[in-house]
Amino acid sequence: MVKKVTNHLYEGMYILSATLSDDARQKALDKITSGMTKRGGEVVKIFDQGRRKLAYEMEKRREGHYYLIYFSVPGSMMPEMWKDYHLNEDLIRFLTLRSEKVPEKIEFPTLEV
Amino acid sequence: MFIKKGPGETLFSKKRKQCPFTAAGVRHIDYKDIDTLLKFVTERGKILPRRITGVTFNYQRQLCVAIKRARHMGLLPFVAEE
Repeated sequence: MVKKVTNHLYEGMYILSATLSDDARQKALDKITSGMTKRGGEVVKIFDQGRRKLAYEMEKRREGHYYLIYFSVPGSMMPEMWKDYHLNEDLIRFLTLRSEKVPEKIEFPTLEV
Repeated sequence: MFIKKGPGETLFSKKRKQCPFTAAGVRHIDYKDIDTLLKFVTERGKILPRRITGVTFNYQRQLCVAIKRARHMGLLPFVAEE
């Protein structure tokens, strides 16, 4: 029986170093996205959320550049990708979660408490 | 002396708070929604218990995970300095 490879949709939040120049940051982002396409996945959407102050110091850094990427890859490739991310020095922190759909905008309704 | 006002209600019984998530019909609490999450943590950054906020058990569990994810990504503090 042939095993069918199914791609799952994921959302990943990535914090890149804010000290990088625009070119270097673009290169670091390409490195992340190429890691997805290389493994048989595809990048669906990228949200650039810009520079942001970190709530606490991470690796002696106080600021980070936030990216939110929606992508689809085979689930078995995730551990490999995480290994890459841990070796990437420009990437301060990441979080990858399964997602159901790609939103048009990152916006939330205000909640009445 | 407790004066009965209605079924299960006494003079000293408080009105039960309604869960803000149930009222708004939220389906999923997102870790990126910091403005909402900030309403459920103290100034120090601790998660508020649901006996104070009135959040239902189910949503409190979701909220707890969302706050912890936001902390990991540096969106919320673990401990806020004064």
